[in-house]
Amino acid sequence: MNFDQLKNEWNKEEANGLIVSENILKIKEAHTPIDNIRKKMKSEFFTQILSLIVLAFIPRIFNFSPEMKPIFIAFYAMASGFTAYYFFKFYLIYKNSYNMTIDTRKNLLWFYYEMKLNIELYKALTYMLGLIALAGFIAYIFINKGAPINVDAKKLTFVIVLVCFSSIFLIGLATELWTRYYYGKDLKKVKDIIDQLDDE
Amino acid sequence: MSGAAAQPFLELINTNKGIIHKVAKMYMDKAEDQEDLFQEIVMQLWKAYPSFKGNSKFTTWMYRVALNTAIVFFKKENKKIDKTTLTEHIDIADVNESDDKEEKLAYLYKAVQELNSIEKALIFLFLEDQSHKEIAQNLGISEINARVKLNRTKEKLQSIIKKNGYEF
Repeated sequence: MNFDQLKNEWNKEEANGLIVSENILKIKEAHTPIDNIRKKMKSEFFTQILSLIVLAFIPRIFNFSPEMKPIFIAFYAMASGFTAYYFFKFYLIYKNSYNMTIDTRKNLLWFYYEMKLNIELYKALTYMLGLIALAGFIAYIFINKGAPINVDAKKLTFVIVLVCFSSIFLIGLATELWTRYYYGKDLKKVKDIIDQLDDE
Repeated sequence: MSGAAAQPFLELINTNKGIIHKVAKMYMDKAEDQEDLFQEIVMQLWKAYPSFKGNSKFTTWMYRVALNTAIVFFKKENKKIDKTTLTEHIDIADVNESDDKEEKLAYLYKAVQELNSIEKALIFLFLEDQSHKEIAQNLGISEINARVKLNRTKEKLQSIIKKNGYEF
């Protein structure tokens, strides 16, 4: 194959009949992987807000006892606080716009670590909310439903430890699988390109 | 950015639209995906335009933004390259009727679809007459690495074109 000849043909190729008008500049939505992840996180933010609103009605739906209500409020405040904290962090990342004018390697690494940071923050938030929900559920069982006093203390300890450990494991696993499914594809694609670049 | 700033930008883009057109054709095999990528590149160029200070040529700056965008631009559904689709995309009848020049480029565009994102960038920059040093600077790799990778990619491209039953 004669590459010099090919170069000549390449240089002669023109994009005739193609006019770039001002309308193209009005497109607001970008489609880079980081934009995809940000878009998904934005939709999750609204889901989270909606969930917090729905959660506020839990005491009424499950007819919480007067003792359970302050505990619920404490857990609810913790969940809202963590959500607000993490979403503030997401917002700061969201505002940090990318720069396409740097070299490809730097650009890809920026994308990769920014995405990873987003995902890790998201995982931490999900994990914490899961644990708060678990603690809230245990409190509900013991306070609202009444502690099973006549049960053997050793057995009860064993059951509590087992439930806590398995729940923590399941929350961790579900968070990991969900982030892999929802965000992992974009992350993997960028990692693959970095590997192509690094491959000697 | 205001409409007044858009005018000189659009003039520069229209003068150099061939570059974006070629990048889009190299990175996407289907016409609608090429159009999407073309739009995305223009949008990214427009977003980055305030950072263009004129210290380098507009085209040098444009190469970088266009390639960086193309490399991380993914189709909505990441379809594997379908050989049937590729054959359909380049209308063989048209190729036979067209002159030799168009035929070569058509086969080139068909073959590059089998290269990965970085290999496409290497071939693109090579065809745009970039030196090994410039290729290395654009991709953020060493000059030696750029040379080795480019040679390997050229060999790979040759064998793909040969495998597709064409030689030039």
